[in-house]
Parts: sequence; structure tokens; C-alpha cells
Amino acid sequence: MDIYFFLGKGGTGKTTISASFSVGLSHYNKDSNFLIASLDPAHNLGDAFNIELSNKIKKLTENLSAIEVDLEKMIKEYLNDLSTNLKYTYKYLTSFNLDKYFDVLRYSPGIEENAVLESIKKFLKMNEFDALIFDTPPTGITTRVLALPKLTLIWTKRLMDIRRKILDRRKMIENVKGKTEAIIGDEVITLTADEKEDQIMIELVNYSKEMEDLMKLFQSDLTKINIVTMPEDLALFETKRIIESLNKFNIKVNKIYLNKYLIFDNPPEVIEGKIIEQDRVIEKMREEIKNISIKDIPLLSQSPRGIEDLLKFYDNYILE
Amino acid sequence: MKKLFDLLKKIFKGLDIGLREVSTSLIEKELEETENVFALLTMGAFAGIPSPPTGIILRILPYMQREIYVMIARSKNIDDALAEIVGIFSIE
Repeated sequence: MDIYFFLGKGGTGKTTISASFSVGLSHYNKDSNFLIASLDPAHNLGDAFNIELSNKIKKLTENLSAIEVDLEKMIKEYLNDLSTNLKYTYKYLTSFNLDKYFDVLRYSPGIEENAVLESIKKFLKMNEFDALIFDTPPTGITTRVLALPKLTLIWTKRLMDIRRKILDRRKMIENVKGKTEAIIGDEVITLTADEKEDQIMIELVNYSKEMEDLMKLFQSDLTKINIVTMPEDLALFETKRIIESLNKFNIKVNKIYLNKYLIFDNPPEVIEGKIIEQDRVIEKMREEIKNISIKDIPLLSQSPRGIEDLLKFYDNYILE
Repeated sequence: MKKLFDLLKKIFKGLDIGLREVSTSLIEKELEETENVFALLTMGAFAGIPSPPTGIILRILPYMQREIYVMIARSKNIDDALAEIVGIFSIE
């Protein structure tokens, strides 16, 4: 399965380009099934297609479907299930007011990134699509999401080492004194010393495997990271930052779409400065970013809306 | 005779328990501390220390009751940590 991510600063045209890319790809590959998913909390994928989209997958053409993922709803549902489960498991600890702590999990740092990653995992598990195209949230969140599997692996490895040490010590005691028992609240529970029975170890191992698979997928050629940028100084700086931060996690950028490029034979005086900045940025970009292909897309008088317009846009500016 | 035999049995059993307690007390303490470290690392938000990515916490939280219990019990005795160490090493 191929995965395409479209990243970039707000307002650079990620949604238009990703929508057009999905329309073009599905049009010229009729035998394959495609899904475009907006992971941006401020959705406007439906606006680009001129179709109302929701949190449910909607078929747009024979082989293209789209969805605007409701991250807020996803977090809420996930935490509701977890909270019920936790309050039941920890019923003996209610005297410490821990149940109130669980209610604030919604505000844990990194919960959005986790929801985005969970959402990506959910789509990857679906077998009906041959390629996924993601219109992503602002750069900061997306780069953190792409880096999350590797960061998580560092933590799970360390936590598994500590857990193993706990289970080893329990085993030693068990060999001398028999099974270890613990009193939690009013209940006596028998603690396991076996890795295969310890629920925490099982979860850590499973989660670590899931994250390793994701990390390998993000680092492989199946994942194509595309940056959408504009010929402006600030956009160039951000593009370089995305490339650098992804490089740290061995994730390669596939292509840069240099969008909203101004073309004038005789530019009006009022935008001459802008044209100079544009030419300087483009020159700098080609000089400093060597191994990534850069595709220019001019600023259009009207943004493409609807499948027909998006296909024309694809044919004229994206197709190679 | 039977009474004497029972008494000896009790004495040896008591000795056995005592020796087993002595041999494992340090390991038990180490185990408790490791459980506490594990809880602190994963539930760092309680103490304001850096936490692992939220995904890990959400996955293991339902099974952490023992660790949280140890952590809370541990924090209650934190003021008397020196006395505890002295006790472990039988310093008089």
C-alpha cells in the first residue's frame, strides 16, 4: 500500500494539491482503490471537492473515497471507553481521587498526535484501499506524528527493560517463597512473574511491534512525503525545517510542490518586490535542496473546486 | 514424643520462614523500588517529570493498579527514607 502525505505551512495549498493528486491518481489508475483523508482539525477537503464530507468514508468516484476525520470525536470516544475501563479497574483506589485524574487525560500533552497516529493506523488496517492520501494538520503536529513511532520505540524499549527486571525479581522471590501476593484495597491479587502473563509487558511488546512496523513503513519507499510550499522566505525556512526534522528520523521527503508561483510578463510596480523575493527564494531553494525534485505550480486566478477542475489542475500542473 | 516432634516441626518451619524472609528481603526491597521507578516513569504527570508518549500510557494504564499503589505507599513513607535504609541493612 502506498501512502502519500502532504505537509506544509498553513495556506500554502496542501488541501487543493492533495485533493487534485488523489483525483488524478485515481483517474489514471482505474484498477486501484484510493482514499483521501483529511487529518487537519480545520477541515476544508470537502470545500476543495465541492462535496459535503464527514467522519464517514464517502465514495466520490468509482475508485476514490474521502473522509474528514473528526479527531475531537475520536479522542472523546477513545477516552470514554478507557475511562470506564480504568474506573472499573481502579475501583479500589477511588479513595485517592484517581478517578478525577483520568478525566483530565483529555488534556494530556500529545493526545492530538496520538489520535492522528491512531487514525492513520486505522486506515492502514483497511484492506479495501491500494493507496492512502493524507491532507495533514499544521506542520508541527505532522512532523511530530511521523516521528512518534521512533520516539515511542525508545521509551517502550527502556520500559520493557525495567519491566523485565521487575518480573525477574518477582521470579526470584517466587522461587523461595512461592507466588507473590499483593493487597490492593480489600482484594488480594497474585502477581505474575511470567512475561507472557504480565498484562503490562504484553501491552508494551504489542505496542512496540505496532510502532516498529509504522516506523519502518514511514522510512520505506512506500511512504511519500510531499511538502507544499510557496516562494516566500518564511515558507522556505519552514520547508528546510521539515526536511531536517524528518531526516533525524530517517524519513525522506519525496517531492516539493512550489505553489502559488507568480508569473508576469510585465509585473505591476506594486508587486515588483514580491517577484524579486520569489526569484531569490526559488534560486536559494534549488541551491540548498539538492536531492528532492521541486515542481512549480503557478498562482491561478481561481482555485480549482470540484472533481472536474481538480483533474484539469492535475493534468496541467501535477502530472509528470 | 508426638508433642516434641510437633514442636521441632514448628521450630524448623519457623526457621525456614525466617531464613527465606532474610534471603529475599533485599530483593523484595529492590523489586518495590523498581516498581516505584516504573510507576514514576509512566505516571510522571503526578510528580511533574517527563512522561513517555501518551500512546504508551493509554495502553498500559488499565493494568497499572499495583504500581500506582506502590508509588502512593512509597510517597507516604518518603519522609522516613533514611530510617527505611537503616532498617534494610540492619544498622543499629
